[in-house]
Amino acid sequence: MIAAATRLRRAHARTNAGLWELRIGGALVAVLLGLLVLRGVLPIPDPLAANLVDRFQPFGTPGHVFGTDQNGRDLAARAVAGLRWSIGCAALATLFAATIGTVLGLLAAMVGGWTQRIVDHGVAAMMAFPAIVAAVVILAVAGSGFMPLVLTITLLGWAVFARVVQAEATALMARPYVLAAQLAGASRLAIALGHVLPGIAPTLLVMVAFFFGDALITESALTFLGLGAPFDAPTWGNMLQEGRLRMLQAPWLMLVPAGCIIVTVLAANLLGDGIAAWTRRDRHSFAA
Amino acid sequence: MLHRVLTSALIRAAELIALLLVVGTVLFFLLRLAGDPAAVLAGQGATPEQIIAIRQAYGLDGPLLAQYLTYLRQLAVLDFGTSLASGEPALGKVLHHLPVTLLLASAALALSILLGLGTGVFLGARTGRNDGRIASLLLFVVQGVPGYVVALLLINLFAVQLHWLPPFGVVNWRGWFLPTLALAAFLAPKIARVTAANLQEALREDYVRLAYATGAAPRTVLWRHALPNALLGATALAGTQLAFLLSGSVVTESIFVVPGMGWLLIQSARSLDFPVLQALTAVVATMVFLINLGTDALFRHLDPRLRKQQR
Repeated sequence: MIAAATRLRRAHARTNAGLWELRIGGALVAVLLGLLVLRGVLPIPDPLAANLVDRFQPFGTPGHVFGTDQNGRDLAARAVAGLRWSIGCAALATLFAATIGTVLGLLAAMVGGWTQRIVDHGVAAMMAFPAIVAAVVILAVAGSGFMPLVLTITLLGWAVFARVVQAEATALMARPYVLAAQLAGASRLAIALGHVLPGIAPTLLVMVAFFFGDALITESALTFLGLGAPFDAPTWGNMLQEGRLRMLQAPWLMLVPAGCIIVTVLAANLLGDGIAAWTRRDRHSFAA
Repeated sequence: MLHRVLTSALIRAAELIALLLVVGTVLFFLLRLAGDPAAVLAGQGATPEQIIAIRQAYGLDGPLLAQYLTYLRQLAVLDFGTSLASGEPALGKVLHHLPVTLLLASAALALSILLGLGTGVFLGARTGRNDGRIASLLLFVVQGVPGYVVALLLINLFAVQLHWLPPFGVVNWRGWFLPTLALAAFLAPKIARVTAANLQEALREDYVRLAYATGAAPRTVLWRHALPNALLGATALAGTQLAFLLSGSVVTESIFVVPGMGWLLIQSARSLDFPVLQALTAVVATMVFLINLGTDALFRHLDPRLRKQQR
């Protein structure tokens, strides 16, 4: 009796695996995307409008919920404006890196031979080198800005996708259903797109979520160091840098962008963890 | 055994040389795509005469292929040129800043292992209990906070609010606390998570059940039977992450004004001190190579299964 109840509770816990992470992560992402899309419609002040009377207003000031900065600019408005830069940059870099990495990983797994060896060594070399060092050097030489940032993060990130996709695809290639498709005369491309890619989709989704968080951190760190966004752009990295210089007078200048970054990265990580647990749950419940 | 170690070291070395070659080539063409390399090499605020002199001295008026070959020849003998900022040899300047980074990274590694293992054992032994769940949730949140935000929050708390420690600089021993803590905050949660997961797994193994069956105390089972096996995963992680402590120290050093390689990297990037940037890239790649080699050897020594495979 007790054993059965425990088993039932365990089974229940399993079917709910990852659910709360998905709910909270999804809710956070929905709020952030909502702000991003609706920021033109919502009653938000101009993020660039300076007002020298209202400088250094603290948290909770009427009209300025998050306070104002050294030029009297509304911090809430600047935080929302920073969404466009940070999320846009991280999302684009994630899209590029995932696409390139998936294509190369699939190629390596399905073609084999020299293609595989070149991809393998490329991946090993890329993963061994500290990304931020390379990013700083590239941005210093090539110049900073939105697209250089996106391309640098892409260049340094594709290898992770390639490695995982290759490993998963190689495992899938040995499955009977792929063999059956081969015997039925399906082309390599058809097998890759119709049979292998759907099989690795859950893993890919989890990686996309985590990579997005990492890309956002890299972007804001590089901007914070003065190598990413232009100095006058309202981005979280720039806001942190401005806040750091005035930490003694107005600590909230730093806390607002720090909070934005933490919440966004947390949302991405929660989604990633949630998707991972959710897809694993399916496998478990079939096995049991 | 020795033969295998040697072969894998040779393959790694070939990978390193290939990597350095690729990085060097990318930098070579990036520099020429981004604008006039002579203007970059002459530094900011150079006169037209100085730029022309640089162009002739570096052979930048010759054909591109000849330039590339000269460049490769210089790379091969580790001649990175002289720093544009100070006129010292670039490689010597980088090596001069190396010890500070090594000190910071090893202090942070030691602290991470201490904190990470402690938290990991606590969590791993308490799965399914509420305090364990709350702790792992906290860990998840901490892991999502970027290292440089942690650094800023630490300064805010310990230097600005409490006045306990200096906000930046390492003029005395008190200055080392915050940079070390900030860098460890990046690695410790990872070690904790891996240790906890491995410990949970180890506690479900048959040999643990056997140990309980022979009447061993729970504490003995945890520390003597389960933990040594769980440590393997943590060691592997610490090894692979050591290279990334170098990444973390880029941001940490420039926030806390610690004059190591990371600080030098940002300074050189801001002033576009190209020879120093290049020497830095080569030194970092070499260090990562050596670290990976060392971790491999250590791991082979620690894991009896790998030792057996070798024979």
